[in-house]
Amino acid sequence: MASKKLRRTGVSAELCERLKRHQLETCQDVLSITPVELMRLAGLSYSAALDLLRLLSKACAPAVSSAWDLWRKKGELCFSTSLPALDRLLRGGLPRGALTEVTGPSGCGKTQLCIMLSVLATLPRSMGGLDSGVIFIDTESAFSAERLVEMAQARFPEFFSVKERLLEMASRVHLFRELTCQDVLNRLERLEEDIIACRAGLLILDSVASVVRKEFDTSLPGNLMFRSNLLGQEAGVLKYLSQAFCIPVVLTNQITTHVGEKVHCPQWNQADVSTEEDSGFVTAALGNTWSHCVNTRLIVQYEDTERRQIVIAKSPVAPFAMLSYTVQKEGIRLEGNENPESVLNQGTDPGLQPIRVRTGFIYNLSQATPSTC
Amino acid sequence: MHTPHSRSVGGGNAPFWLVCQTAIKHQKKKKKKKKRKSTVNSKMHRTVPSLPLAPSMKVKLINAGFQVASDLTDMRPLQLCKEAGISQEEAVEVLQVLRDDGQPHQQRAATESLTALDLLHQEQALGSIVTFCSALDDALGGGVPVGKTTEICGSPGVGKTQLCMQLAVDVQIPVCFGGLGGKALYIDTEGSFLVQRVADMAEAAVQHCTLLAEDTEQRQALEELTVEKILSNLFLVRCHDYVELLAEVYLLPDFLSEHPEVRLVVIDSIAFPFRHDFEDLSQRTRLLNGLAQQLIQLATQHSLAVVLTNQMTTRVSNGQSKLVPALGESWGHAATQRLILHWEGLRRLASLYKSPSQMEATIQYQITVQGFRDAPDEPRTTPDSSAVSSPSGNHSKRPRMEDLS
Repeated sequence: MASKKLRRTGVSAELCERLKRHQLETCQDVLSITPVELMRLAGLSYSAALDLLRLLSKACAPAVSSAWDLWRKKGELCFSTSLPALDRLLRGGLPRGALTEVTGPSGCGKTQLCIMLSVLATLPRSMGGLDSGVIFIDTESAFSAERLVEMAQARFPEFFSVKERLLEMASRVHLFRELTCQDVLNRLERLEEDIIACRAGLLILDSVASVVRKEFDTSLPGNLMFRSNLLGQEAGVLKYLSQAFCIPVVLTNQITTHVGEKVHCPQWNQADVSTEEDSGFVTAALGNTWSHCVNTRLIVQYEDTERRQIVIAKSPVAPFAMLSYTVQKEGIRLEGNENPESVLNQGTDPGLQPIRVRTGFIYNLSQATPSTC
Repeated sequence: MHTPHSRSVGGGNAPFWLVCQTAIKHQKKKKKKKKRKSTVNSKMHRTVPSLPLAPSMKVKLINAGFQVASDLTDMRPLQLCKEAGISQEEAVEVLQVLRDDGQPHQQRAATESLTALDLLHQEQALGSIVTFCSALDDALGGGVPVGKTTEICGSPGVGKTQLCMQLAVDVQIPVCFGGLGGKALYIDTEGSFLVQRVADMAEAAVQHCTLLAEDTEQRQALEELTVEKILSNLFLVRCHDYVELLAEVYLLPDFLSEHPEVRLVVIDSIAFPFRHDFEDLSQRTRLLNGLAQQLIQLATQHSLAVVLTNQMTTRVSNGQSKLVPALGESWGHAATQRLILHWEGLRRLASLYKSPSQMEATIQYQITVQGFRDAPDEPRTTPDSSAVSSPSGNHSKRPRMEDLS
């Protein structure tokens, strides 16, 4: 590991002392300087400096495996979402060891999807679950335990008819409430112990965007860079945790208005194209750098009055695709996908993919609930 | 220089031709002497502080009066030991360093020189790795070249990882099918390497070769080419931060000696670990430069292709924001070839942005279930001067004549 102390790597004590005088105590410190600098600071010849670097590299470098070793563990590569069409497109489900982002307008179903995944993760393996705990980091106080229980009972009525199972499921979901950026970062850096203690198999961060957007005003100079740095750090820690424990990580994001010319979107319904072409369009928040950091991006958006859509905007395995769904008592239900469109070999920049938002409300007096127009 | 010799020959009265003759003879003698010493001259005039020795050693040598390397050549270890006040082992080390001059490579280069014809033969023998997109292969002059570093920049989701995975499969195509029959090392810093996708690409590549197989040699090679073999020959390393990446690159020479059939090293991506951990950007530039040098050295010494993936960053200038390759301006010089992948509406385009041997070109490609392939339209191979806008608003690129017309 990078923070390994030098004296544990087999470097002579005298050399360690010499390096300590120049504040070089860990492998990271020594590997962060060039060989010529090391020569000067440590008082070594060039070849000795290279030998020292090679010795430290052996202590830090990760192991080499092969793709075949990975392929043999096929069953442990994905986390099934229990939505068959989505699993098929994603070649098994959400990837374990990578970051998946769900972004979209408010009220579309991001938190509902997260709660549904939490229930699924606690299920035994025979039912497609991970039989593990869940760590849910909530920054918006949107998590509702009642909804969790309601969803579990509605989705798996026979399994959760036994009350103990319901209680056990609820006790496996560990909730952390963090309200500032620094809190989130601190929590992530200490999360290894929590993951081991909870035996967590799924990590959810809902949402990444809310804390960051509260604290960083990107119209001020320099803030954009700070924000990108912070997001990069968070992404680095999450990727490390996800790969080390081989667990899926789900993050939620918000939307922002992108001012500029409209980017074409595949399968855009012509009738719905807004007449104001130049007013900008809605797209995923947090910018270009964050779009690079996530491995998979799922966009949830409104399709029409009743239905919403999941769009696979960025994925190393799946093509660009859209699936319709509704939010029901049992969580997300895919419907209206009877004619799966042919696999599109097109796509757009996932950072600029336009997202449809709710355009208005109709209050229908005969029904008690409002519906969209 | 001419004048003193002529004086020595005949004062001021000797005939001009005699003066010239003698002067020329003297010059020739001098030249001959120079030739004998030419290989040794550079070493002999090297000052002691510039030798690759420990600083404390250099201080002791200078204090003992040794200024130039030539002062040390005829010394014996015991004598040096007494005069400079260093131990016997250190004296032997100093003399050894002088003999090798630190890098035997450098000495060889001083005595032998390669002609361009030799290089041409070498380059042709090295070959290149196909991408299965014929338009891109044409633009690159056959494929991704072996012995050079190629950088692939692009926006998120445009296909950089797909192209890298495709290359990792294509490098294994047997020689009788026109491939290199080599292995690949994939250094993943982002976690985007998903083995199901590589398995699909490997399956498609095997099928492609099955359709092409004509003679018995090819059919024999095909029997050994299975998805299992392709995946086993794809070595994978997962690095989480820049320290692990640097450590892995320091260990690459040892790895490549153990696995000499490796013909491709992919680093996907080199940008992610370097973009958020650094406050001191000059340190980052130094490390990146060192990394680039090590990689190009590996590429030439071990005859392999090095492919690096870079991200894009937003640069705000005059109120407008543009996407440019990340890691700064100086990184633009690091790779031999630069390929920029970008979106244009619904299409994916690849532009060859920097190459010492190929012309700038923009082609369209697409990602299918089988992998990285040609777009269904006519593949364009001529340099595009019309509708395709400049992919990244790179201000430092001067417009070509075709663009201006």
